Amino acid sequence: MRRHTRRIFNICYRFTGNRTEAEDLTQDVFLRVYRTLASYRSAYGGFATWMTSVTRNLLIDHYRRTKRDRVTDSLDDAMPVVENKESVARRPDEQALLGELSGQVQSALTRLSPELREAVILRDLQQLEYIEIQRVLEVPEGTVKSRINRGRIELARILQQMGVRPA
Amino acid sequence: MTWTCEQTEARLSDYLDGLLDAAEWSAFNQHVNTCATCTPLVASVAHTLGGLYALEQIEPPPQLEPAILRATVGVVRTKRDFWAWLRSLQSPRFVYSAVSVAATIVLLLTATGFNWRKPKLADLAPATVYHRANGYVHVAYARSTKFVSDLRVVYEIQSRMNEADQNPAMREETIPQSSPKKEPGRTDNTNPSTPKQQNRANDASKRLEVLACEFPILSGSLVDRRVP
Repeated sequence: MRRHTRRIFNICYRFTGNRTEAEDLTQDVFLRVYRTLASYRSAYGGFATWMTSVTRNLLIDHYRRTKRDRVTDSLDDAMPVVENKESVARRPDEQALLGELSGQVQSALTRLSPELREAVILRDLQQLEYIEIQRVLEVPEGTVKSRINRGRIELARILQQMGVRPA
Repeated sequence: MTWTCEQTEARLSDYLDGLLDAAEWSAFNQHVNTCATCTPLVASVAHTLGGLYALEQIEPPPQLEPAILRATVGVVRTKRDFWAWLRSLQSPRFVYSAVSVAATIVLLLTATGFNWRKPKLADLAPATVYHRANGYVHVAYARSTKFVSDLRVVYEIQSRMNEADQNPAMREETIPQSSPKKEPGRTDNTNPSTPKQQNRANDASKRLEVLACEFPILSGSLVDRRVP
């Protein structure tokens, strides 16, 4: 229970970049898993993969639901891209916890498109195999590889725009 | 093998994940080392990947797990809940209440004669407690009654003394004083209006002397009787 809670919470937090939203989404994931437990089949690829799939679906639903709010926020926020790293700063304790580079990477993650973001999170943060990501995202392996590759390159580009460059 | 910038971008993850074969690996490296566009691209993506791998797992808040259990299977007592409940007992309000209750119990047990040095279960029997409490109540009642009566006596004495202080005539009657030196035929000027026993005795001796002159035969016996 604790292992699954930690894993799902981390996926949600890395996707949303917000601790409160991640907490609510984690609770929603467990609630949906509890209600749809009868529909689980072991042939699907394991319980963890099934839970990750439920999480991904909820995250996409959440992204679509809050898209309008984010558009309004971005219209209100006319700051240049380089200075956006300040505007997306979270609570001070979170920022201190993540460290400077970690905070910047997390900030850049939330600016990736959701398709690329979920692929990068599952591969590079959750260390899932390509076949598992393929089951979770329900796309062919080639698409998974392409999304991961494009996600990494896009993330590097966003970090460069934020002023983060390799030493 | 010829290698292009498009190939570098498309196979970049394969290169970083070590999925290229030897020929591809060699061609990739050869191109990147000579291409001004691909060199910074590979460096920045490798740096980004390092940053992603460096991201640590975030610990979920402690209240999340109990909240999930409440939302799914209902209210479940966990060890964490128990410790949280124990910590809540450290509040000053609870501590003061507990200390008061403990002090009351100690006082009651001590009052009923419970021996703390040699505690016995029989001491806590209701009959024993009743008999001891009954005895203590009677003793306390008797002592308080005695105390009240003592107070009354002291109060009476004090009130009498106060009255005597306020009334000097009464003080002379009540308080014995050393009588002044009396001389027959002389009056002391202290209180001429009040008759004195000594004066009456002086009168009687004068009458006896007159009788002795009139009746000489009785004089010897009367004088002897008057002066022992």
